[in-house]
Amino acid sequence: MKLALAIASAIILIVHGLVFYDQFFHKWERHQTAYFDQARTQARNDAERAELSDRSPKIEQIIVTQFGDNRVDRCTTCHLAIDDPRFKDHFQPLKTHPYSAALGDVQRNGRWERRHKFTDFGCTVCHDGQGRGLETEYAHGNDEHWNDPLTGYVTQANWRKEFKTHLVGKEYMEANCAQCHTEENFPGTPHVNRGRELFFRTNCYGCHKIEGLSEGTLAPELSEAGHKFKIDYLWESIVDPRANLATSFMPKFNLSDEDVKCLVVFLKSRRGVNFAETSLARYRTRMSPAKAEITPEAVLNKAVPKAADLVSQGKQLFEDRACTACHKLGEKDGGIAPDLSFEGKLKDEEWLRDHFRTPRSRVPDSIMPAFRFSDSDFAALTAYLASQQAGAKLADGAEIFKTLCSRCHGDKGDGQGKTAYYLDPAPRDLTKRAFMNSKPDDRFIKSITDGVPGTSMPAWGKTLSDEQVHAVLGYVRTTFVKEPQRNLKAHANVPDANPTPTSKASVANGEATFLKRCAGCHGLKGDGKGPNSLDIVPRPRNLRNRWFVTTLNDRRALESILYGVQGTAMPSWIDYGLTVKDAADLLNYIRSLNPPPAPAPAAGKTIATAGTSPRGTE
Amino acid sequence: MSDLQVQDPPASAPKGGLVTALTAFPRNVWDSIFRHPLPDSDLGASQTSFSNFFLHIHPVKVHRNTLRPLYTMGLGVMSFVIFLLLTITGILLMFYYVPSTTQAYDRMLDLRGSVAFGTVLRNLHRWSAHAMVAVVFLHMCRVFLTGSYKRPREFNWVIGCILLLLTLFASFTGYLLPWDQLAFWAITVGTSIAGYAPLVGKKIQFLLLGDQAVGQEALLRFYVLHVVVLPALITLLVAIHFWRIRKDGGLSRPAEADLQPDGKPLQVQIVQGNASGKQTFGLMGFVRGPFTKVGNTPDNSVYAWPNLLMAELFVFVVTVAALLLVSLFFNAPLEEPVNVLHPPNPAKAPWYFLGLQELVSYSAFWGGVGVPGIEVALLMLVPFIDRKVSGVGKWFAKERFLANTLFVTFALLNVIFIIIGTFFRGPNWAFVSPF
Repeated sequence: MKLALAIASAIILIVHGLVFYDQFFHKWERHQTAYFDQARTQARNDAERAELSDRSPKIEQIIVTQFGDNRVDRCTTCHLAIDDPRFKDHFQPLKTHPYSAALGDVQRNGRWERRHKFTDFGCTVCHDGQGRGLETEYAHGNDEHWNDPLTGYVTQANWRKEFKTHLVGKEYMEANCAQCHTEENFPGTPHVNRGRELFFRTNCYGCHKIEGLSEGTLAPELSEAGHKFKIDYLWESIVDPRANLATSFMPKFNLSDEDVKCLVVFLKSRRGVNFAETSLARYRTRMSPAKAEITPEAVLNKAVPKAADLVSQGKQLFEDRACTACHKLGEKDGGIAPDLSFEGKLKDEEWLRDHFRTPRSRVPDSIMPAFRFSDSDFAALTAYLASQQAGAKLADGAEIFKTLCSRCHGDKGDGQGKTAYYLDPAPRDLTKRAFMNSKPDDRFIKSITDGVPGTSMPAWGKTLSDEQVHAVLGYVRTTFVKEPQRNLKAHANVPDANPTPTSKASVANGEATFLKRCAGCHGLKGDGKGPNSLDIVPRPRNLRNRWFVTTLNDRRALESILYGVQGTAMPSWIDYGLTVKDAADLLNYIRSLNPPPAPAPAAGKTIATAGTSPRGTE
Repeated sequence: MSDLQVQDPPASAPKGGLVTALTAFPRNVWDSIFRHPLPDSDLGASQTSFSNFFLHIHPVKVHRNTLRPLYTMGLGVMSFVIFLLLTITGILLMFYYVPSTTQAYDRMLDLRGSVAFGTVLRNLHRWSAHAMVAVVFLHMCRVFLTGSYKRPREFNWVIGCILLLLTLFASFTGYLLPWDQLAFWAITVGTSIAGYAPLVGKKIQFLLLGDQAVGQEALLRFYVLHVVVLPALITLLVAIHFWRIRKDGGLSRPAEADLQPDGKPLQVQIVQGNASGKQTFGLMGFVRGPFTKVGNTPDNSVYAWPNLLMAELFVFVVTVAALLLVSLFFNAPLEEPVNVLHPPNPAKAPWYFLGLQELVSYSAFWGGVGVPGIEVALLMLVPFIDRKVSGVGKWFAKERFLANTLFVTFALLNVIFIIIGTFFRGPNWAFVSPF
């Protein structure tokens, strides 16, 4: 036991020794001693020398009170010579901070004077890093838990290797310049300016909200992106959106590294605080958002010199605003949204214009954001899309399917095309025999020819001949359904038209039944988002899809209610005691949810209800 | 007795001139503090410890069984040593810490970077806190598995249970103070576990946090609990705990340990109060029970000085050395500053509550209230349920097979749940393999 005691005591002693050594022999002391020694040899007179010999190593710090929360910057403990021009060629940490006319430094009588004095600004206001740290690792923010490592100089160990080389460079510090220099075109922050422009140009603003700039609601708000995220995360999210969220539907934009860098710098500058304005000023701006704000229109209209005719203007806009980040047109394909190559034939101008203004006015569950373009831009884009009259020469069913259908319905016809994930309602799974064999061919021919209103299925009849429609259906039947069609007997007791005229009593009865029987899947509001809907594929129909419901014929609706939809979760309600009368009441209720639009739909009103700015629509 | 002699006014003292008084000054001061010189005999040692505030808690003689290293493993003393370490480092840290949401994290950075000995203080405090939870738990296991909670030590066992809960709570309240992401979300999770209690759960949560979520109020409350309320309670209960050890007849030991060399049990004369009231008693007459005898009675005890003192010193030195080593090589974690909008996935409670969090992931009520409530209640009631006195003083005594098996099962289950929660749970509390 005595030996053990002795060993343990020795350990205590040794650990204490190490701790003391660590406490009293700092690296920064060596830097300071080195500085004093060299400054002494360079001193010009005795007074300077005497002053130096009075100094002994100590922690130097600058307390910055004017920029956000108080900062304690101890950087000058090692970087002792930042304001001593004699050390301009010395190696770090004893190097003079460079003087720069671009930063506003001026030379008077051969001596530089700084515009941004260290005594006022400290170091971390511009450079980031951890001001309080006295060890390089902590101070420079190499520690992966530190949010803001020295911007543009330090990359952290867990950052992705392929990005690291991009994340170094003084230009990243512009994000910090922009904390005070918020002017739209401040010449000192070209990357921030370009990033802001790209934010609008590449349509980021359609989905993302940044306070004072945009109102998008589809994607995460970025007002404080610079405060919340490291530049590594920002870069990764732009270049590889699914790296952090496997379900993200953000497109991969076709951006050059330089553009990504500008966007990262711009986003890094969004910190939710602005040193330049007081909290009162900030409140004022928020209360009167029309003032002093940078609008997408202002940025975009200025950015694009207009072409002569409407169609080329539209083409220019189309390319400029990264529409093909989602859509397909010609060779370019974003792989998220529908193919626009035949848009001119499939849609009329009214549809296009309405859809541009508020995509959900035509496809109620569309994820396409309502972009705040000017009316003239919408007109140009509409004209351009209307000019897409390309009629593909398609020989047989197989080719038609491959060219027109497989993008959504999938090469295997299983409804898993590359855009399927983003479409609501999802494309029909054509391999589901129960469904495909329970509906008459007429129904499919009609869906192909006239499209399915309120969904992304266009009316192919406008570009395909009847023979072609039949050919593609035949192809689907032989290739995907692979089962001879059964002889369908029409249900005799289902009337062709709704037998119960709509009335208050009928609607009320329908509502009661709906809440009892249907709301579990179709939702209390009938929007197809009931609690059970998440487990059901295909998803329950959105019964508030006005375009779909108004064009749905009574017979099909009643049949679906009474006899179910085979191959889906919709059961045959006649087996659960629903009568034809009940189904008719239900149908009346569902129709009452989708009143026909007012005779002359005012564009302004539609837009206002969809939550976008009515600006410029009158 | 020499004790009395010292207290008598020294009749033979020289009638002091100033010079004599001055020359004898150091000696006199020393004598006024320490009434006995460093002992050179067992009697002297007994007197010295008897008259010393810090030593008088020790008995003069202590049973040999108490000193068997493998019997107690020194876990109780170890808990106390760690508590002392925590008190000292904690007080030193208090000089730098500010319980404010805007300053706390900066103070952590200062401790790490520029306060002298800050890093080692923080490391020592942090690792000691973890160690104390573990050691107190092991101490409880020792006491149970040797059957030491039985009569007359029931109450001391209950106090011990309360001390374990206080230790957990003290560690938990300290967890929040660095105000980094780890702290914030661990406390958010931990307090919401408390919120699952029926009826009072939400109220307790609100009482703890002083708000709907972890914020400035919670930080202040946790700070006060951590540095004043809980240490004071622990100190008080530790004092009672120690006092009861003496009053309950020292540490538990098997019945045969008290046998005399001739194989007969040691007879302890128990003085009964006399109803007739004719007899008079000294104070000693009130003391009952099998206390260690001083005198010539042959028994199995040895002098506490040096035997017990050396054992305690040994535990002390080894504990301190181990904690110092750990603190030298491993830095206390410090993550990002609190970001209320950016919870880590998964957000985990401190490790000793991860077993509960794991249970909560199955059932909020059972994990948050049911299981821990039943466990605590059972623990505290055990000495009043299990009244047999056989099998005391031996590890895994045959007579206590059922009780020991049940206890080990419960303890292991808790440990297993903690291990699962710590190592096998990833984002969204999904099962992940750490390998």
